[in-house]
Amino acid sequence: MQYYLMLAALLFVIGLFGVITRRNTIGILMSLELMFNAANINLVAFNRYISGDGLTGQIFAIFIIVVAAAEATIGLAIVLLIYRNWRGIDTDSYSVMKW
Amino acid sequence: MEFQLPEINLQLMAPEIFLFLWALAVMAFDVTTKRKSSSTAGNLALVGLAVTGVIMVFTDQGRGFGNMFFNDSMAVFFKVIFLAAAFMAIGSSFGLTHTRILNHRGEYFGLILLSTVGMMFLASSSELISLYIGLELTTIPLFVLAAFFKDDRKSVEAGIKYLVVGAFSSALLLYGLSFIYGLTGTTDIAQIRSILAHSAVAGFNPAYQESTPIMVMAVLAILGGIGFKLALPPFHQWVPDVYEGAPTPITAFLSVGSKAAGLVAFAKIMIMGLYDLYDPSKAPNDWGILVGVMAAAAMIVGNVLAIRQTNIKRMLAYSSIAHAGYVMVGMLALNSLGLASVGYYMFAYLFTNMGAFAIVALIEDRTGSCEIASYAGLSKTSPFLAISMTIFLLSLTGIPPLAGFFGKFYVFAAAIKMAETGSGLTWIYWLVGVGLVTSVFALYYYANVMRTMYFVETDSPLKVTMSPMAVAVIVIGVVGVVVFGLNPQPIVQFASDMPAALGALLP
Amino acid sequence: MSEYLSVLIFAVTGAAIVLFTFFISKLIRPHNPYPEKGVTYECAEDAIGDSWIRFNPRFYIFALIFVIFDVEVIFLFPWAVAFGELGLFALVEMVIFILILFFGLFYAWKKGVLKWV
Repeated sequence: MQYYLMLAALLFVIGLFGVITRRNTIGILMSLELMFNAANINLVAFNRYISGDGLTGQIFAIFIIVVAAAEATIGLAIVLLIYRNWRGIDTDSYSVMKW
Repeated sequence: MEFQLPEINLQLMAPEIFLFLWALAVMAFDVTTKRKSSSTAGNLALVGLAVTGVIMVFTDQGRGFGNMFFNDSMAVFFKVIFLAAAFMAIGSSFGLTHTRILNHRGEYFGLILLSTVGMMFLASSSELISLYIGLELTTIPLFVLAAFFKDDRKSVEAGIKYLVVGAFSSALLLYGLSFIYGLTGTTDIAQIRSILAHSAVAGFNPAYQESTPIMVMAVLAILGGIGFKLALPPFHQWVPDVYEGAPTPITAFLSVGSKAAGLVAFAKIMIMGLYDLYDPSKAPNDWGILVGVMAAAAMIVGNVLAIRQTNIKRMLAYSSIAHAGYVMVGMLALNSLGLASVGYYMFAYLFTNMGAFAIVALIEDRTGSCEIASYAGLSKTSPFLAISMTIFLLSLTGIPPLAGFFGKFYVFAAAIKMAETGSGLTWIYWLVGVGLVTSVFALYYYANVMRTMYFVETDSPLKVTMSPMAVAVIVIGVVGVVVFGLNPQPIVQFASDMPAALGALLP
Repeated sequence: MSEYLSVLIFAVTGAAIVLFTFFISKLIRPHNPYPEKGVTYECAEDAIGDSWIRFNPRFYIFALIFVIFDVEVIFLFPWAVAFGELGLFALVEMVIFILILFFGLFYAWKKGVLKWV
């Protein structure tokens, strides 16, 4: 059990680090997927070891997978728009708004 | 294995189902019909919202779908806010469909409706899975809408920023929720609460009101996730950029609808679910003070940074951060007045902010600019707009007898009532103090806009031609702000059903 | 042992059907070889050369649409596993779900996304 949780925590931290440090937008989206999957691993592991017969955790994980896919698709579509507008997808290249 | 279908209670979900199908119909209509006027899709969307409101009147309250869906009075109250926000956002979009959105009108209005469905679904979820689905159905269409001007760099940038932040906050929230599920073994919010209250859960011992590291981590992750959605500092940096870049009606919808949705999520998870981790008598060993600090920071950051903005959308963005702080003060006052005050505040904010953004949208359609300087001389050319804008800004500041004043008044009154109950709660007085002081800053930057409209001379004052729908939205806003300011009782009455919905949980 | 027998029958029948269709098509198809037909098939891209080329961004849109439909299928899986117990009502629900997906496909089609311009 704790191995699964440790794996999830590791994935989550890698994702978090990636979101913060990545310069490439697609890299950021990939890191976000890692974070979602960390939550999925947690849910499935908890489902197996704690709630016994129940399937709630697994159902939750399925819904998360689908929603994450939808989010990733829209993210990639916006990346396409970014590419059309700026001819590059690094986060440095597009930032017109500053406070 | 035995499978049992939960009881299906489609009647409870009728408004959501109808609005969902209607949204698809609006989109299908737009792609299949060749010849249509520029406002057909928008009118269809408005009709759909109105019919949904009528259906809601005839919808029973109750539980359904294996306890995943709970249509209670809190849900109904917030659904009214969501529908009204969507109505006013669509109403102020008609200018855009003439000028900038020429090809994808069906998608534009359909996505607003879908986002509204998500908010409504969120409001009546009583279980973590349906809550999460509602939250995502709310935000995912908004990502697309924020980036709707495909060739406008600002809009695209707003879209990607909102998407990354939104997905990031969802991931944080989910990671926290997965631990809550692991510690309690259930995703039903009411059960989570009773398990935390009555039995010793691994990681949480109610006898000592102490939380183990894993619970602390879960609560921190959840607060981070919701903090992003509500734009409470330190999770607020995305707000001004997204608000500036997104189409103006969408900005309005974000600032009211999406914020109210975040509040619902907060109320559901933190108050209905994790109430026992916020025991006022054991303060400050709880999440209450953490949210208090975030609310105070929101009021300070929002109001101070709004002062130096020259773009009115950015200014309203910072002011919305500040308003989120005020609302959280009411949310933290865990008494019946507190929730009612949150409800009233959101209602007042709905009319005020939607109206103000409707004016911003009108002027942006005309001039293409959102700079405050371009409002110079507005009082000469269109006194109606200037007077309405003044009313909205005064209400946002909190000047009596407008609705915004009573919102702030109830929120602070609830907080003080709460602070009087416990000994460890003196920090709530500080919170109220911060709220009062920062309101003075707010007066400064709102007054600046009024000064520009009335007293700044300009060679080329702008002339604004108004579409009837935009006028209707502004009039609705003004009437709402004035009437509910002079007579707040009906809304307070309506809103005070909400605490009862939380199951007599609050003092 | 008998359950393995049914597997064997399945395998043999499957192989037989494949061989049979190959045989039939050999009999009736026209015979007209030219060089392009011998080239390795690689989704309309040149198969020879560096694999780190820039792909045509048109593929991108198709990939996005594919991802959505691909992942939605995950909901069919738990339903299919429990199909026997769930009965008619769940079947109707699944049909509604697939109809909604079809609406998405119809919408994309109408929007002209599926056209190779």
